[in-house]
Amino acid sequence: MIKIKAKDVDVFYGKKQALFNISLDIEENQVTALIGPSGCGKSTFLRCLNRMNDVIDICSVKGEILINDFNINDKSCDVVRLREKIGMVFQKPNPFPKTLYENVSYGPTIHGMAQSKQEMDEIVETSLKKAALWEEVKDRLHEPGTGLSGGQQQRLCIARAISVRPEVILMDEPCSALDPIATAQIEELIDELKKEHTIIIVTHSMAQAARVSQNTGFFHLGQLIEHGSTDKIFKNPDNKKTQDYITGRFG
Amino acid sequence: MSEAPHTVKSYEEELKNLNANIIKMGSACEDSLSKAIQAITSRDNNIAEAVIQEDEKIDKYETLIEQQVVNLIALRQPMAIDLRETVTALKMSSDLERIGDLAKNISKRTLLLNENLPKNLVDSLNRVSTNVQKQLKSTLDAYLERSAPMAVNVWEGDEQIDDLTNLCMQEVIKYLKENEKNLEDGTHLLFVTKNIERIGDHTTNVAEQVYYLVKGEYLEGDRPKGTEPIVTGEK
Ligand SMILES: Nc1ncnc2c1ncn2[C@@H]1O[C@H](COP(=O)(O)OP(=O)(O)OP(=O)(O)O)[C@@H](O)[C@H]1O
Ligand SMILES: [Mg+2]
Repeated sequence: MIKIKAKDVDVFYGKKQALFNISLDIEENQVTALIGPSGCGKSTFLRCLNRMNDVIDICSVKGEILINDFNINDKSCDVVRLREKIGMVFQKPNPFPKTLYENVSYGPTIHGMAQSKQEMDEIVETSLKKAALWEEVKDRLHEPGTGLSGGQQQRLCIARAISVRPEVILMDEPCSALDPIATAQIEELIDELKKEHTIIIVTHSMAQAARVSQNTGFFHLGQLIEHGSTDKIFKNPDNKKTQDYITGRFG
Repeated sequence: MSEAPHTVKSYEEELKNLNANIIKMGSACEDSLSKAIQAITSRDNNIAEAVIQEDEKIDKYETLIEQQVVNLIALRQPMAIDLRETVTALKMSSDLERIGDLAKNISKRTLLLNENLPKNLVDSLNRVSTNVQKQLKSTLDAYLERSAPMAVNVWEGDEQIDDLTNLCMQEVIKYLKENEKNLEDGTHLLFVTKNIERIGDHTTNVAEQVYYLVKGEYLEGDRPKGTEPIVTGEK
């Protein structure tokens, strides 16, 4: 099943074009990895998927992005609802300067997802459990989120992202600040999360892309050079540029 | 290698080195095989002894290549063409090692044979082995040139080796039946013939690896087969 369909997407920052004619299908309940050299447009593409580029004044997006067959670039799109459905986790863990509990309950509160304190407690607990953080923090829910280790903070941000039950989770280099153990925990989590969510992850680690994803897209200079099963991309890519990049022969 | 060089030069060096060792190991096998055949057909025990000695060198290449492969996987995490280079090197080295062993076994038997073998048997052995030697050479050339069509040629040629082996076997069996005194020599010659055929099989395995290395996919279909092998002397 195709969850997201990008069709001929162009992105400009002012006059400078950052993405050229990107067409890409993202499969539901799978992990898609986006790889490519720095500045090739991975984050820009990711931001297209929940209209985060809207907040950048000089940025303009052309083309269609269909999520569940609905074009999110359409005027009728409710961007707040969209961002509820399409969650995002960033490179640097960025918990709010609030308690753990408030970090997770923030989204459900603004989206009015809980009718009572008890319901909210449940949302917080299940989100933290799904993010594999519950056991470590259940006794300190009312301490500040910023007091956690980097890996824990990142899992807190994932808990925050999944608390509003998004259909899609976008992750932009979520493990770049983490040690191998914390990275493995996040990767295990991603594997778990894909049962209920569609995941798109940007990573600079070829090994990580190979480990966590089922599909991989390779971007270069604003173009999608190759997209296919991760297995194929890492064993026998069709495109020479892809091969040069993943084997470390670039430039 | 036709690929652009790696950004990390030491990685590039390691892959080149692995490549060079496969070539060296392959040449050592070619050399052993041709000497083993020369020793048996010209009844030269000195050459046979040399083949037995040189097998050690081939074994050492296998160990070396295995270590290099393990290091590459552990420390470089090769991908795509590099991954295929690494993995096929491991498999090729184990087939080449078997080729070395089989050549050695031929030479050990050579030392036990009588001085005078019938000319027709010598000719027949020569025919199979010339073919196998050609195959081995073409396989190594295919590897060197990263040529899938050359690998396919070898693969298809295995059939002819099977046929020549069977002809040779028939002649040895005839020789065995002629006289009870031929029993010992005849038995050794049966094994020698079989060994040559198996060298051909290992060569074909290497050719399959070359194909996979170049194309990233496996050679499809069953390996071409010649006439059914002879199991007993009845017929
Ligand atoms: N806010 C912005 N204003 C102007 N140009 C931008 C902006 N954000 C990105 N760009 C430009 O768009 C291009 C793509 O950038 P983007 O951040 O999408 O790359 P990336 O693939 O995510 O790189 P990295 O791997 O370094 O994160 C770059 O040339 C970048 O300079
Ligand atoms: Mg980025």
